[in-house]
Amino acid sequence: MAKKKHGTEEAEKLEPAENGAEAGRKDTKPSAGQKIKNAFVKSWHKVRDWFVGAGRTVKGWFVKKKPAEEEVGPDGMRTILPNYNLTKKERFFRFCRSQSGWLFVLPAVILLCIFTLYPIGNAFVRAFMENYTPMNKRHPYDGWGFENFVRVLKGDTGMGGANFLQCLLNTFTITIISVPVSILLALLIAVALNSIKRVQKAYQTILFLPYLTNALAMGAVFATFFQIIGTRTEINEGVANLGLINDILGWFKIPPVDWLNPNMHAWGSGTVKFYWASYLAVIIYEVWSGLPFKILILFSALQSVNKQYYDAARIDGASRSKILWKITAPLISPMLSYLFITGIMGGMKQYSAIVGLFGPQMGMDYNMGTMVGYIYQYIDKGQTGYAFAGSLLLFLIIMAITGISNLVSRKRVTYT
Amino acid sequence: MKISIRHLTKAFPSRVKKGAPVIAVNDMNIEIPSGKLIGLLGPSGCGKSTTLFMLSGLESPTSGQILFDEQDVTTLAPERRGIGLVFQNYSLYPHMTVEQNIMFPLTNMRIPKIEAKAKALDAARLVQIEDLLARKPSELSGGQQQRVAIARALVKMPNVLLLDEPLSNLDARLRLQTREEIKRIQRETGITTVFVTHDQEEAMSICDIMVVMKLGFVQQIGEPQAIYDDPANLFVANFLGTPPINIFKGRIENGQAYIGDEAIRAVELEDQEIFVGIRPEGFIYDPEGALTLDVDHIEVMGRDKSVVSRHTSSTKPTVRSIIDSDVKLPADSGVMKFNVKPNKVFLFNANEERIL
Repeated sequence: MAKKKHGTEEAEKLEPAENGAEAGRKDTKPSAGQKIKNAFVKSWHKVRDWFVGAGRTVKGWFVKKKPAEEEVGPDGMRTILPNYNLTKKERFFRFCRSQSGWLFVLPAVILLCIFTLYPIGNAFVRAFMENYTPMNKRHPYDGWGFENFVRVLKGDTGMGGANFLQCLLNTFTITIISVPVSILLALLIAVALNSIKRVQKAYQTILFLPYLTNALAMGAVFATFFQIIGTRTEINEGVANLGLINDILGWFKIPPVDWLNPNMHAWGSGTVKFYWASYLAVIIYEVWSGLPFKILILFSALQSVNKQYYDAARIDGASRSKILWKITAPLISPMLSYLFITGIMGGMKQYSAIVGLFGPQMGMDYNMGTMVGYIYQYIDKGQTGYAFAGSLLLFLIIMAITGISNLVSRKRVTYT
Repeated sequence: MKISIRHLTKAFPSRVKKGAPVIAVNDMNIEIPSGKLIGLLGPSGCGKSTTLFMLSGLESPTSGQILFDEQDVTTLAPERRGIGLVFQNYSLYPHMTVEQNIMFPLTNMRIPKIEAKAKALDAARLVQIEDLLARKPSELSGGQQQRVAIARALVKMPNVLLLDEPLSNLDARLRLQTREEIKRIQRETGITTVFVTHDQEEAMSICDIMVVMKLGFVQQIGEPQAIYDDPANLFVANFLGTPPINIFKGRIENGQAYIGDEAIRAVELEDQEIFVGIRPEGFIYDPEGALTLDVDHIEVMGRDKSVVSRHTSSTKPTVRSIIDSDVKLPADSGVMKFNVKPNKVFLFNANEERIL
């Protein structure tokens, strides 16, 4: 400590001498020892400036002795400029005090690091380990490379089960349809709710109830709506339980549809298949379960819209639908974009709905699987390398989609 | 367009259960000639804005009729009345540019876009905001927003322009400027304009016809100067004029109007209790005058001076009189005598507060 102090004192003495040396540089070259010393002093000053946060705006080196100044603005306002004429001790304590905010967030930061940042970083690293087997302590992986990604994208994992592209397509189709549809429905319901006066509170409560229900329980209820229980012959004889939806369709003489068994309705060919009946079941479920939260958000957004805009629009002769699309929707566009972005993000990560509807196998051997379902499948089978690769890909996809929707919404959304 | 308001009444249901309804406008009858600027004037809660909203069609009257040029529009929807309305806080659509805001009424009328743009530009020129068309309302000052609101109301060439306290959100200087602007625009377009305000100075300065209201009842209708010179009752006399009129308790005895023991004016009326209203400019300093005031202090205002004094019969704590600054007063305070100008003195019945 004492040694260091001595060093800095010397450095301070050096400063005026340095200027002199610069002036007479041509005549007397500084010795090698002096050069090293100067370089050391300069770098120390740089560090000191950075910590104190001063002198960075001043051209050249740190201005040392600067008396406290008062600046008088054009409007006569007096501003006392910060005084840099402080002792080192004072500076140190000031710095500590200015950084004390870190102390308050420290518990959260530590937990975040342990349970979020470390696992994410770990997953990023492990995704590039080939044939990673955590149980084998002596030889946990074969080497580094993109093998996991290649196999995941090719569907060549040697484990059977869902195809990555199939899962991607499932997730995409369900999300792209269910999110806009549910936002649209939620907007219409919220506008309707906003325009009624009498039993508004009661309706609000009823509409919000599904939000309090567990996703798996809801999935099980929906499964009974769609599920056909019985063999083919029983169906033909008309003794099977066709499920609520098929019963209703039966009233209109529509033959029963096997909603939850995607293989029966292969549409198209190749490894990637469309399963519209099953998609429809999932989309209906997703829209229904997503509605309450969206209605609540949009309803509260509508309540905060100044009613006079509607009066003005009526005077201007706008029709009801024009008021909805040209006045109401833009006025609550920040909330719509929030719902859209979080909806897309949630949709890309959906899992429980599929498990609730199709069971833990997610249809016939994971073919109704989603991206998260795909990842879980490989964690289940002990092939964590593929799971890591899959989650990294999912991460990139969600990030790209969020980025795009952010760009789009920046043009469309007006914050008032 | 001529507007006739006949027996117009608006009652709002009571907030309390089984309470009496609140009558905002009570049996209103006004004939508004075409191409005039009409001011609805009154303190807050007098029903002037309700009247305006009934004219616009946003509120429906409880009873009575509204006629535009002999056509009954009482139950007509707002968009079919051909009116333009400027709200108190302007209600510009925040997500649209100024041009889109002005064009919005036209797009609802299915006017081709090029034509609509040309009309919007014309309206913008009229209110002198043609260089602000690309901006959003949040990027405008209060005065500019107000101009946009007027342009939006004018762009569809309404038969009637309604302004709901259009100047109340502006600062004092801008208010003076904008009210002249409104007068100019109204003259240029010749649109019948109804204008709501609680500021009597504002109403007096720009209105062709002024309607003074109180608690849902019309008190007086007429030209501003006529109402000022000949108020129908104590309320109207009190409401108009700055500084306000001075009111004294008095009586009539033997053909003389008295304040205290001092005879002010000869009148041909029977003996009764009265209120005597004297406008501040109605006092003349005169050592032999009829009225004795105990002068408290004198405020010098340059062009004239304001004499603040006390009188035992005054209903207000002080009596304020405006004297020309050329007139020499004997002292800064103390008892002084004043004469009154007969045309600045009004006598009101003490019970009904009606003018005599």
